[in-house]
Amino acid sequence: MSSGPPPAKPVPPPKPVRKVPTDAGGATASRVARPPQRPGAIPSRPPQPSASSSKASSSKAPQKPTKPPIRPVVSSRPKASGSLATRRFPEDTKPEVNAGEEEWAALMKSAYGPMSGEDYAKAAKTVQDKWELLPAFLKVKGLVKQHLDSYNYFVQVDIKHILHANALIQSENPNHWIRYLDIRVGFPQRPGLDYNQQITPLTPMTCRLTDSTYSAPIMVDIEYTVEQNIKRARNVVIGYLPVMLRSDLCWLKNKSEADLAVMGECPMDPGGYFVVKGTEKVILVQEQLSKNRIIVMADQKKDEVTAEVTSSTHDRVVKTYVMTKARRLYLRHNSFKEPIPIVIALKAMGLTSDKEIIQLICGFDEQYQEAFGPSLEEAASKNAFTQKQCLEYVGVRVSPGQERDDSGMRLSVDQIAMQSLAAMVLAHVKVRNLNFRPKCIYLATMARRVLAAMLDVSMVDDRDYVGNKRLELAGQLLSLLFEDTFKTYNSTIKRQMDMMLNRRSRATPFDSRSLLEQHMGIVTTAFVRSISTGNWSLKRFHVERAGVTHVLSRLSFIAALGMMTRISSQFEKTRKVSGPRALQPSQWGMLCPSDTPEGEACGLVKNLALMTHITTDVPEDPLIRIAFMLGVQDVSLMTGNELYRPGVHLVQVNGFIIGVTAKAKSFVRTFRKLRRAGRTSEFVSIYINHHHRVIYIASDGGRICRPMIIVENGQSRVTSEHMRLLKQGKVSFDHFLRSGLVEYLDVNEENDSLIACYEHEITPDTTHLEIEPFTILGAVAGLIPYPHHNQSPRNTYQCAMGKQAIGAIAYNQLNRIDTLLYLMTYPQQPMVKTKTIELVGYDKLPAGQNATVAVMSFSGYDIEDALILNRASVDRGFGRCHVLKKTTMVLKSNNTGATDRLAFPSTGDTDNRYMFVDKDGLVAPGAIVRPSDVMIHRESAISSPAGGEPEWKPTPVSNKLPEPVQIDKVMVSETDEGQLIKVLTRQTRRPELGDKFSSRHGQKGVCGLIVPQEDMPFNDEGIVPDIIMNPHGFPSRMTVGKMIELLAGKAGVVSGALQYGTAFGGSKVVDMSQILIDHGFSYGGKDMLTSGVTGQSLECYVYFGPIYYQKLKHMVMDKMHARPTGPRANLTRQPTEGRSKDGGLRLGEMERDCLIGYGATQLLLERLMISSDAFDTQVCETCGMLGYAGWCPKCKSGKGIVSLTIPYAAKLLIQELMGMNIMPKLCLEDTV
Amino acid sequence: MSQQRYSQQNPNSMPNRDQPKAPEQIEYICGDCGAKTALKANEAIRCKECGHRVLYKPRTHRIVRIYPLEN
Repeated sequence: MSSGPPPAKPVPPPKPVRKVPTDAGGATASRVARPPQRPGAIPSRPPQPSASSSKASSSKAPQKPTKPPIRPVVSSRPKASGSLATRRFPEDTKPEVNAGEEEWAALMKSAYGPMSGEDYAKAAKTVQDKWELLPAFLKVKGLVKQHLDSYNYFVQVDIKHILHANALIQSENPNHWIRYLDIRVGFPQRPGLDYNQQITPLTPMTCRLTDSTYSAPIMVDIEYTVEQNIKRARNVVIGYLPVMLRSDLCWLKNKSEADLAVMGECPMDPGGYFVVKGTEKVILVQEQLSKNRIIVMADQKKDEVTAEVTSSTHDRVVKTYVMTKARRLYLRHNSFKEPIPIVIALKAMGLTSDKEIIQLICGFDEQYQEAFGPSLEEAASKNAFTQKQCLEYVGVRVSPGQERDDSGMRLSVDQIAMQSLAAMVLAHVKVRNLNFRPKCIYLATMARRVLAAMLDVSMVDDRDYVGNKRLELAGQLLSLLFEDTFKTYNSTIKRQMDMMLNRRSRATPFDSRSLLEQHMGIVTTAFVRSISTGNWSLKRFHVERAGVTHVLSRLSFIAALGMMTRISSQFEKTRKVSGPRALQPSQWGMLCPSDTPEGEACGLVKNLALMTHITTDVPEDPLIRIAFMLGVQDVSLMTGNELYRPGVHLVQVNGFIIGVTAKAKSFVRTFRKLRRAGRTSEFVSIYINHHHRVIYIASDGGRICRPMIIVENGQSRVTSEHMRLLKQGKVSFDHFLRSGLVEYLDVNEENDSLIACYEHEITPDTTHLEIEPFTILGAVAGLIPYPHHNQSPRNTYQCAMGKQAIGAIAYNQLNRIDTLLYLMTYPQQPMVKTKTIELVGYDKLPAGQNATVAVMSFSGYDIEDALILNRASVDRGFGRCHVLKKTTMVLKSNNTGATDRLAFPSTGDTDNRYMFVDKDGLVAPGAIVRPSDVMIHRESAISSPAGGEPEWKPTPVSNKLPEPVQIDKVMVSETDEGQLIKVLTRQTRRPELGDKFSSRHGQKGVCGLIVPQEDMPFNDEGIVPDIIMNPHGFPSRMTVGKMIELLAGKAGVVSGALQYGTAFGGSKVVDMSQILIDHGFSYGGKDMLTSGVTGQSLECYVYFGPIYYQKLKHMVMDKMHARPTGPRANLTRQPTEGRSKDGGLRLGEMERDCLIGYGATQLLLERLMISSDAFDTQVCETCGMLGYAGWCPKCKSGKGIVSLTIPYAAKLLIQELMGMNIMPKLCLEDTV
Repeated sequence: MSQQRYSQQNPNSMPNRDQPKAPEQIEYICGDCGAKTALKANEAIRCKECGHRVLYKPRTHRIVRIYPLEN
């Protein structure tokens, strides 16, 4: 069977409703969300964060963000002996001995008095409110924490390892060198010193506004030579590293809401992105096949089986294959010209006895031995018996370029073979002192897996199995980038040192330290360039990736949040295989089943579920030690005879075989107990693969995992008492983890567990209990109420649309100056909430309004999902939004060449377009600027005579939008290039015909008609709907969730409470009906309506109640376009394309085909030529070439000249053809 | 800066009705402390009080006619 076998973990499909603790109640928040800050009335408010609060609290001046307390920088120095093999991993720290049970017991006693410590666990049978673990989890992990953890790991651990691996710069002169001693990253600050020689700290908001980079200095301690002396220096800056927001380096880390407000930051903002040159950039999570693991694939058609390993070390990334050809096994690798028979490869590595080979690969199994026979025979037929013979066989087949060793010595044939086998093949298995034994065993294991797959097709691995994947995060990518640029930096400095030292005479003693600071631009620009372009091009590591970073979408709060959980996969989008796109059963709980885009990237772009965490590297040496202590026998002491005996299991740590054990189950059990006791990192996973008969221990980074409640003896370890303590705030999630109540499982270990979804499903065999079923959904899908009642594609549609909804973006939304920002004027939190909504904070930054909907037909303007809007609702502010746009201008002010300046237009220039321009050449906030009115009057110097006053040419920046806009803000600042001016313009829009709306169930529609309130139907309480929706939207879409949302919403409205529509739970329909009945409504949610037009009662009852509606960003005003005549493209003289260029409306090929088919020649002629690019020209009838002015330049006469009209594009084609030595001729005929 | 001065500087203060003309020298408002700074050409853009580099232009002095929204 594969390593992704059918789940041994029978996670039953979630059984909704019944047993879940209802999450209703406790909902007392008000219906209308407090709009964070209302845009509108006073548009020109400069950011004044929390001025009043700080004023009130103390008499001292308001705290400024510019002087945050200086945090001690990380400075624990790793051991100098950090060897290469282990330097990926953080140092082994002594595990904290935790009190575990005693700790709880003490807490219980203090909370409940002298109750015996043991009793508490048995006190309650069922766990109430175990979902409360989720918010506790989200406090410490989850959503964006993986980005932060990964970045922190890079900054604190990995960067030091990289430094120690490249610690010495040795110039050619042996007396001059620089040695790096330690490295640390400071706090974010402006590069260079201030005008009064001070360091200016940077806040993210300043960076956004001033288009600068939020970065911190990378500082090193060095030891270096000055002439004959050795000197030391501390905190030498070698470059600036962009800082991830809310990481350990960031000012925003662990700040209170008030502190954040002072810095102009939103407390709801997730962080985890970078601010580079003023734009917010996210490094998306990248999905890859795991490195250093064996993956077996089969090609059924060619009858080939291949085992593949991607070895990833610090020097190189190489792939090694063991493949079959004609049922013989070969070793394939890039450094060999042709596949090498496996037996020859093994013999070359010193495994000369056939018997030993057979034992290592096949063990006792005769089936395997038989299948391996041909491979053995082949080696014999090649006359390769001894190690020397085999090395020579391999040596002549090593591809060119490997004939020399590191010092440049020429190698003999068998040395070449030895070198490439040691260093290139399976590079991650290190060969020390020419001990090839570990590599032989690894290769033999690969061969064994291939044989197994040959004999049994089901032993092939599943590449799409989530357990075989690793997620690469920002930290890993940055560490690669840093390693690459640091090497470049060091070699540049070495070159400079050599150059300076080679100079005959030096005026001053050579100080190599100054070189370090001189060249810090190399490191700084490498980071800034890579993050701002998204191109990760690292020649050293064969990494060539584009589109790694994306601009953080600030369309809505949810869009930004959704971006932080997004995973992009490396598969090409064009391939027509469904495997990578399909929903994998192993994605359960790890990746959101609903949130994926439609179309091209469907299934390739995924999103993390709510409770997932991505691991970072954990050192493996202590794990190996633990394994040996638990009775694993070292593999290097084994012969093949002992490896594959029945009942014996191999033990692998991070893909590397360390030994065997005969007591697999008890070994795994003990190991897990140690992990639960906190003796190893909680992210170490261990599981048995019964098909491979291997115990895998994994501690590498990039595994997806999630927490689960441990079940022992059919009892959940977490009890109601624990939850009570949690709710009282006495304990945190870490307490649960440390005392072995909850643990993290990765996908592979999940497969080795029996997990109960609900407590009543626990059987004696159950090992774990889900914390909460709704966490299988992600943050974006979690917004949907009652998603378990919807057809699944509808939830997927909503995931895409939720990101386009206009709403509140952040508490600091009005201080931001973004290129484009949509804000809703009066956002409301939904009447029907979900737990996820509360957890991610969507109720505080909502994107939509609770509209009262009548599901009925009205007029004919509601067909095809069109909505009818109530004019009075629109007047009251339903769907009203702001559109804020930015115009940026940098005044270039270099001393040579062009210089810009702002000026008041000199006399005579001013016309109506300059109505609001002040003396400083800028408009002021509050002004209404019409299309093509001037906003910034800039003047550029055209020529500057030596010493004289340059001539100034006006180059104003005007309003390019077709509608009048209000000026919201005018900001002036400065950058390195010069003065920076940003003008923020604002429009307030009310819904109009054609604007797009959507409910939270993938049901979008455009506004078809806006009806006066008096014509709308009303119920007997006089309530008039805001929206009328056509009932035809329901049958085919099957969005039952929407109907229940209406019912629950209505019950909420009449009872004055918010209702819950959490997935697999939420308020029950029965309860909702009862509430309706109690308040005198029909239990079904239907009302009797009276027509506003006729005044008669409608003949049927109408489903009537509130549904949360989102206004989507697609608005008619941005799209409406028509042109009678207008600009033409320069080259073809055809009308331009696109609304932004006032383009024409294209009569395309298909339309043309229709006209041809219909035979409307004159219409065709008019559309395609006369109204487009008609061109009067002259053609010579005799030679067929174009002429001019009654003259044919070829015939040198004007005899055959005829004038005619052709499309300019045709004339252009003729001339271009002539330009490439092809002579087209026009042959003329008389028209009839 | 002192508390007292800070409270006086309301960035959104409306101009007096009898002051329709824009002043010759425009005083920009600091994005951090709210102090007013008059800028000269070719001068570094800094708040005089706190050295902050982001300044905002105050609201216009002219009379703005607001066009009613239609539909």
